[in-house]
Amino acid sequence: MLDGIISHQELLRRIDALRVERRLIGPVARVEPECMPPVRYFYQPVERADELALDFTYCVQSPKAVLLPPAEPLLRFDRESGKFRAGPVIDHTPTALIGVHPCDVHAIELLDAVFSNGNADGHYLARRRSLFIVAVDCPEPCTEGVFCRDMETHETDRGFDVILYRLDADRRYGVVFASDAGRAWLNPSLSSGGMRTPNSDDERTFIRYRQNKERAFEPRLPMPRRELPEMMARSYDSLLWEATAQRCYSCGSCNLACPTCYCFDIRDENELNGGGCRLREWDACMARDFALVAGGHNFRAKPGQRLRHRLYRKAAWIEAQTGLHGCVGCARCDRACTAKISIVEMLGQLAEEVQHAGTRP
Amino acid sequence: MIPVFDTSCPVAGRSGEPVGAKLAAGTRPRIAIFSLTGCEGCSLAILELENELLDVLGAVDIVNFREGMSERDWNIDIGFVDGAVSTPHDEAQLRRLRECCKTLVAIGSCACLGGVNTLKNAQPQNEYRGYVYGEAARHFPTADARPLSAFVPIDHELPGCPLVREEFLRFVKCLLGGRPFRLPSYPVCVECKRRGNLCSYERGQICLGPLTRGGCDAICPSYGRACDGCRGVVSNEALKAFGRNMRTQYDVSLSDVLERLRLFGAFQESALP
Repeated sequence: MLDGIISHQELLRRIDALRVERRLIGPVARVEPECMPPVRYFYQPVERADELALDFTYCVQSPKAVLLPPAEPLLRFDRESGKFRAGPVIDHTPTALIGVHPCDVHAIELLDAVFSNGNADGHYLARRRSLFIVAVDCPEPCTEGVFCRDMETHETDRGFDVILYRLDADRRYGVVFASDAGRAWLNPSLSSGGMRTPNSDDERTFIRYRQNKERAFEPRLPMPRRELPEMMARSYDSLLWEATAQRCYSCGSCNLACPTCYCFDIRDENELNGGGCRLREWDACMARDFALVAGGHNFRAKPGQRLRHRLYRKAAWIEAQTGLHGCVGCARCDRACTAKISIVEMLGQLAEEVQHAGTRP
Repeated sequence: MIPVFDTSCPVAGRSGEPVGAKLAAGTRPRIAIFSLTGCEGCSLAILELENELLDVLGAVDIVNFREGMSERDWNIDIGFVDGAVSTPHDEAQLRRLRECCKTLVAIGSCACLGGVNTLKNAQPQNEYRGYVYGEAARHFPTADARPLSAFVPIDHELPGCPLVREEFLRFVKCLLGGRPFRLPSYPVCVECKRRGNLCSYERGQICLGPLTRGGCDAICPSYGRACDGCRGVVSNEALKAFGRNMRTQYDVSLSDVLERLRLFGAFQESALP
């Protein structure tokens, strides 16, 4: 059921209205002549709604950086007048993130769970509470290689303030609200005519949209998502880990590109005057020293062990901890890997191994 | 050469020690900066720390620095050396510096890896002496270019062409605070991803980022130029993986790979697959 229908023009006007109180971040197209196709999309701050490319395919980096910056100060300290003082750094900047595909909405939902459960993370939650999310649904897979259908993340009905469905070519959007803030933003009574309540034609169009979408997304894995943890449990001693890791650089690109990888490292930066800050930076479990502890022991010193760990996290352990998808099928890791190691291909190979093992007497 | 670590971890060893361990408590460290064979760009890069230079000068005594002052003193706590050892004279000078400096730090690709100077190592000596010095060649004895660590023990290495100013500053802060200093153990890709760069490989470039030690904040890829490995190879595993990937995924031959790695002397024969 749709909550409203909005024209493209009216949508841009409403986004511009958001700019009054919030910074805007959304997909921006960048010409990249050496790429195929010669355009790439990036989440960037914008001043005006018409800078946004709301019909983007996928953004090279996930929107993770908006909530969990690659590097952020957690606290600052100084020693002015001989006294040590320290205070937290909390970022409350009101922000609107416009243009989040369902896979990334699922990813943000996971980050929310991770940073709220147990020891709630005030730095993350301050940003999250200041964030207004406008999701944009995908009528078809954004690019080759994605496996969101397998991960059941190609659609979503929560985790955003508003979601937009591009119903037809003249850029008319179906609107669904998931929060009061979203409802207030697109309130039809504020409209100059571009926003209205849906009629029965619109609902029929929406049903067709969803039927077409259902056909457009094809599964890529040989087994449903719910069977992945069981498959992983039987794959711990697979030879695939070591064999694939022969090509792995341990560069962590897969982690850093992943919208659900949230691991970080914390270190202190000192200034010459005795002050400084405590910095949190993205870390990567594929990096060699990730599991290095005091005394010099490394729990995962071999690339094969690290690769296995990462896949277990994505396909089984995160879900066991949070009940949410550890992998959202966006395939950013596959695209980021210059060694062309593919998570979806590995899952497929493991599934094959497990099936073969099952048929053996 | 910067030690390339195998599967074990580089925790023990010289570069894990606090930088200022050899300093007497409460004294201002006496710093010197020297140049062997190279462009002296690393020394110059230190002078380019314009915003921080006065703070640094307020905390240390610089006692010997050809690029920046005329006084000379040889009682030195910490000596920074850029340039490679490329002549017998370089070698003699380096051995003297090792004796004069309580802590010796190699700065820049030339001092840490041999740098672009090592390009001459693959050519016959007569030939390059001839085209560099002409008829005067006999007055200029020369040898294969080598990193400082090939001759004397080096306490710390800050690679890069030129050295990374921010890293130098971080090193100096560790030095003054008596804290341990370590080079990043991850490759350039980490910093490219943190900066939100489009991967050079997506543009069809062969980038050495995946096997090159990070710490430069991915400066070359950030300006659209693929990494050339000036900070050296980050691990044997990455080097081996690079050889395999170039052959099997990109159809690039081993000799082409080596050619790229030779530019800054990052190539280490023992580690190839």
